[in-house]
Amino acid sequence: MGKRPEITTDKDVQKKMVDTGQNIANQIKRGDNPAITLPVRNLNNVYFDKESKTIKLGDKTSQRQFLNIAHVRKFMQTTLVANEVNKVLAEKATVSIRDLYYAMKHTIPGTQEESFSGQEESDPLIEDLEAALDLLRENMNLIATPKGRIAGNLQVKDGKDIIDATKMGSSGWAIPSNVEPEKIEIKNVDAEYILFIEKFAVWNRFNEDAFWKKNKCLIVTSNGQPARAERRLVQRLQVEHGIPTYCLMDADPWGMYIYSVIKQGSISLSYSEDRLANPTSKYIGLTISDVEKFKIPKEVTIKLNQGDLARIKQMKDYEWFKKKEWQQELDLMKEKGFKLELEALSRKRIRFITEEYVPQKIKNNDFLP
Amino acid sequence: MIFMADEKKEEVKTQHADKIFQDFKEHSVADFFKKNKQMLGLSGKIKTMTTIVHEFVTNSIDACEAAGILPDLEVKINELGSEHYEIIIQDNGPGIPKKNVGQALGKLLAGTKFHKLIQARGQQGIGASGAIMFAQMSTGKPSVVESGTNKEHYTVEVGIDTKNNEPKLGEMKDLTTAFKGTKIRCQFKDIVYRKGESSPMEYLRRTAIANPHCSIKFRDPLGETFEFHRASKDIPPLPIEVQPHPRGATIDELLSMAKYSQSRKTAGFLKNDFDRMGDKAIDEIQKMVEFDLNKDPKKLSWEEAEQIIKAFKKINFIAPRTDILRPIGEERLEKSLKKIVEPEYFAVITRKPAVYQGYPFQVEVAVLYGGKAGRDNEGTETGKAIEIMRFANLAPLLFESGGCAITKAANAVEWKRYGIKDPETAPLTVLVNLVSVHIPYTGAGKTAITDEEEVFEELKLALMDAGRKISHFLTGKRVAAEKEQKRKTFLKYATEVAIALSELTGEKKEMLEKKLHELVLKRLKLEEEMSDDELRELKATEKAAQKEAWNEDDDKEEE
Repeated sequence: MGKRPEITTDKDVQKKMVDTGQNIANQIKRGDNPAITLPVRNLNNVYFDKESKTIKLGDKTSQRQFLNIAHVRKFMQTTLVANEVNKVLAEKATVSIRDLYYAMKHTIPGTQEESFSGQEESDPLIEDLEAALDLLRENMNLIATPKGRIAGNLQVKDGKDIIDATKMGSSGWAIPSNVEPEKIEIKNVDAEYILFIEKFAVWNRFNEDAFWKKNKCLIVTSNGQPARAERRLVQRLQVEHGIPTYCLMDADPWGMYIYSVIKQGSISLSYSEDRLANPTSKYIGLTISDVEKFKIPKEVTIKLNQGDLARIKQMKDYEWFKKKEWQQELDLMKEKGFKLELEALSRKRIRFITEEYVPQKIKNNDFLP
Repeated sequence: MIFMADEKKEEVKTQHADKIFQDFKEHSVADFFKKNKQMLGLSGKIKTMTTIVHEFVTNSIDACEAAGILPDLEVKINELGSEHYEIIIQDNGPGIPKKNVGQALGKLLAGTKFHKLIQARGQQGIGASGAIMFAQMSTGKPSVVESGTNKEHYTVEVGIDTKNNEPKLGEMKDLTTAFKGTKIRCQFKDIVYRKGESSPMEYLRRTAIANPHCSIKFRDPLGETFEFHRASKDIPPLPIEVQPHPRGATIDELLSMAKYSQSRKTAGFLKNDFDRMGDKAIDEIQKMVEFDLNKDPKKLSWEEAEQIIKAFKKINFIAPRTDILRPIGEERLEKSLKKIVEPEYFAVITRKPAVYQGYPFQVEVAVLYGGKAGRDNEGTETGKAIEIMRFANLAPLLFESGGCAITKAANAVEWKRYGIKDPETAPLTVLVNLVSVHIPYTGAGKTAITDEEEVFEELKLALMDAGRKISHFLTGKRVAAEKEQKRKTFLKYATEVAIALSELTGEKKEMLEKKLHELVLKRLKLEEEMSDDELRELKATEKAAQKEAWNEDDDKEEE
């Protein structure tokens, strides 16, 4: 991917959409098999960039062809997305990717088939266009439904509003979908680290116990796989203010993979990891060895299933899991045959996680890289 | 062939019959008849109805064929009361001369075909006279026969003196109109007409299929008429009679043949009355038996006959003649199937003749798909299920299908291998005709065939041959359906693409759509011209492309 121009105006983006359409129309007029060239966004075309320590997109491209029975539906849908994005920009509106999906959804005349059967069909096509046209979703005036939360000593300016994340009560500040500097200005922040928590329920424990106040940190949750906004925000806090991120996840392949997405990026968004990945992040836990270290009773562990074992095998092969600590951790999980949820620590004591586990880990610098 | 106006043959038959019925002197024929109802196919009210139609129809077709006439048959069934019917059958055959009508229809001839080895529809049925006797027994009424030959046209009431097995004829009334053929009208009680797979209607439909040279009209008791038109104008050649092959003989059979032999010595009897029996074989037999083959064959004891049969098994006889069999024939069968079943596709296979236990036999099968093929099976997606049509010597077998080797062979075929996913829902008809001088029936009812190893093997091979042919068609059909599906898919998306691009770029929607349509048609034509290998390669690349196109989403964001 080339360098992204600093400012992309709506007009620039519109031109890219129209050019894409015109290019296809010209192919049709010439009698060629119409095709759209797209970067390949799968494991075959990503690599771990040792310099930036993030996942990056390779330069393999593929052709999405109209005259290929396996492609034609996606080809059609791609033209619909380009057209709809152009319309959104022309109307100077900002819409959610769900809005976009509904705007394009209709029954194809003469059939009982729908142009899009679900949002999961339109979302990857938006990513395709982002990658192919070197754009960000935000440039296309598209936003995702936000669900991230943050609390701690952070003050930002969102449009005309000043937000103080110390005064957001029990729910914290809901991270908006667009946290680019032109939308969200970080006015003030006073924290030694960011605690990134996988689950909202666990984040709630930390917020209720005013963990951020006592430990001078920010607490963030993505409630599952993080959206871009949460990742972009913690990256900005790292880049602009030098605040490191520590991650607190379930000790299972999925939790560990979420950590790796926060740290070095995901395969499907590999085209824009320079703006999302946060390579200095560290993994607090849970780890399998915590079970012995903190004398966690065996009954609260969960037996690994076939899916977990397959995922462990897959992850061990990823370039970015090749560090020996991670190989050991994954091997240990496989050997012990169990996984562990964050909530399991409540078996020790409700506040064990906020009063003992996390403070002790941070104090001892007991992290996985 | 009772209606045949060939006096010499009639004489031979009646002579035999007289001798047979000598044994029944102390019993009346009626008693014999009652006791052997099952054997004669007259058990069960529905089955009896169909059997009666079978007897008349068979006799009519045989008579027409023997006279070289293309059969035109008309069958009418009228309901006169509860379980009381009138059956009328008319043919355009040679007719029966006045002087023969009593012998032909008023005298029970059961068993006269017994030692004749000839492929015959009727086999050992009761014959038309048996049906007339049944009419008389159930209603007390004689049957009305009208017949026209080249010389005469008359009508007469025919009954049977059951005590003496002699015809009881009414007054001959001459008619002045021109008529050639025979019309029999009789009444029956204790029988029932039912529609369905064992009905006279189905019997006639199948008869028309196996006998494409026949034209059959039928009126059922509700007044509905059906007509099966002639599909072929060739009259099949008459089957040839052969002497029994020693391999197939049984002790009982040998003894009863010996009784009627013209020869004075057993050696002569064996040589004259068996096929493939030469002097060398006689010498070998003599060495193996403990009595002199100069003995009068009429005086052979059971034990002596047993010794002969045992000797037969040890001698290497030349295989029996097989050129005497007359299958329907692929060409003729194709014609009638097209006309009556109108399948989308079908395959007909006639196997070469083979031999079981000294009897020549031959299998022909047809497998039909689509159109009117298959039996109705409501509740399934296709509304159809596999239909198995069984024939023995061109005559339909409608009963005891479960115990029949034909059904077993059809069920033993793995239809899935031939592109038929589930026979229970397929519009599939499997027709099997077994022809032989001696059909191996399971029992006296003669409605099902036993699974003789050689016969079963041939049945299976024939069905598999036909299955392979059908599978080519089904593959072709699938390919065509796939292509049509592809075309539709491309075209429906073409319109969507044209609209989106037109909105996006301002290009004319109609122009884009037209150009896309052209592209699609060009592409499909190109694929059509590709060889199988090229197509396979194309499919493989499309599949690979599909994999590539679906970006891995195991780390997809939740948004």
